[in-house]
Amino acid sequence: MLDVGRHPRINLLAYSEVENVSGDAGNFRVKVRKKARFVNEDLCTGCGTCAEKCPTMTVDVFNAELGSRKAIYKYFPQGIPSIYTIDKDACRQLGQGKKCGICAKVCQAKAVDFEQNDGEIQLHVGAIVVATGYDVFDPSVIPEHGYGRIANVVTALEFERLLSASGPTAGHLDRPSDMALEKEIDDLEKEHKKLSRQLKQLEEKHGKSSAQVMDLVKSGAAAADKDLHNWAASAERFGELEARLEPMRQKIGAAQPAKKLAFIQCVGSRDFRFNKFCSSYCCMHSVKEAMIANEHDNEVSSSIFCMDLRAVGRGFEEYKLRGGKQANIKYVRGRVAEITEDDALNPVVWFESTTSRQVLHETFDMVVLATACVPTAGTPKLAELLGIELDSNGFFKTDPLAPLNATRDGIFVCGCAQGPMDIPESVAQASSAAARAAEVVAPARQVAAAGSQ
Amino acid sequence: MNNDVLVIGGGIAGIQAALDLAEMGVQVHMVEKLPSIGGKMAQLDKTFPTNDCAI
Repeated sequence: MLDVGRHPRINLLAYSEVENVSGDAGNFRVKVRKKARFVNEDLCTGCGTCAEKCPTMTVDVFNAELGSRKAIYKYFPQGIPSIYTIDKDACRQLGQGKKCGICAKVCQAKAVDFEQNDGEIQLHVGAIVVATGYDVFDPSVIPEHGYGRIANVVTALEFERLLSASGPTAGHLDRPSDMALEKEIDDLEKEHKKLSRQLKQLEEKHGKSSAQVMDLVKSGAAAADKDLHNWAASAERFGELEARLEPMRQKIGAAQPAKKLAFIQCVGSRDFRFNKFCSSYCCMHSVKEAMIANEHDNEVSSSIFCMDLRAVGRGFEEYKLRGGKQANIKYVRGRVAEITEDDALNPVVWFESTTSRQVLHETFDMVVLATACVPTAGTPKLAELLGIELDSNGFFKTDPLAPLNATRDGIFVCGCAQGPMDIPESVAQASSAAARAAEVVAPARQVAAAGSQ
Repeated sequence: MNNDVLVIGGGIAGIQAALDLAEMGVQVHMVEKLPSIGGKMAQLDKTFPTNDCAI
């Protein structure tokens, strides 16, 4: 990643999108729209003072929306290019029209530019490599899995962020229901503090206690006095908050990180309602997540629910067995029918064990859905721009005997843009696509080299 | 004829393709939709089957 940012022969256009493509192999003209970051890329040093002082919080997309970040942000700490971007919709000044500009004031490099517009760049290239990757399948369309309804049912990528030391929980397996409770307590405590300050001021100013005022209002003696009515309402809300906060604090005090995990395979893939194909990497991904969770806390046990566990790849079968032996993983053959929730917000998994031919149910602390790998939302549009075809699953179509070739000369597709695959395969394909693209531009390079001699 | 190559996408596949081409002496333009390159792999904690760090 760092090498790409530093390489003298790589022109990195991040936060940009292809808008138009014309021409043919050897001679493509490409129009790229460079989206406004509202930060001057040449001036920003990536110091982060702006984000430190920014008063606006918003959801962190990089952390699968489990954490929060500021409105001026770096996509992730190690992100390349190492420069900040203003999230236009979340920003107080740009999105909400309020007066702010704190980031511009604290920026020593004077890089913040609220007037910045989108830029347009014209490129002239001989070949194009499409490496647009994939999107995570949205499991909320499967009602029986309860994603979105049951807090402690998460996707594999969300779980990945929970496991990460640089993620929203610093690598601890805090349950999303407890994280939500903590946030609710924080919000209520803020309100509680504010009301407590207000009531104290009123009591000091008027020499009356809030309880007296509430009695006055109740008895009807304060009939038309609006201020007294407001005072009594605040006092009542304050009492309500106190009563609500206490049990919530007790509950969060007793909260434990997740120790018993369930992984559900083939969520959105190998399912005729959604995608017929196998997403290939999810079996090993679940084994890996269960192993890392166990590495973090050796009391963690996992059950992986699968039709069959596909460990096809060098070292994969051994890895699966090692998980079973060393990381407390149980492989359960059977498709999960439904996930419900008990009173303690634990997900309950209902399934048919096809080995014992029984319908069983088991309670877990957290359920991880091994979500399918699906074409990105922008794939059809890009295919149209490039004039290339898609296959029946919606990925970019390639030729079985020339597996990097798109349906048009000079355009090559690698990685999950052409279908689900794991990292080593993506890397191997990328190197192949690079070689094919280099072949296309080789004659032009030879001419250029001859010219310069 | 032009001898530059455009790589669309800055995930692990795009990064590998761009670096290979650049090392061959080809001028590369990389377009990434998001503010940073890295793609899905940057969101992963570790990778299988070696449990190596993803970043």
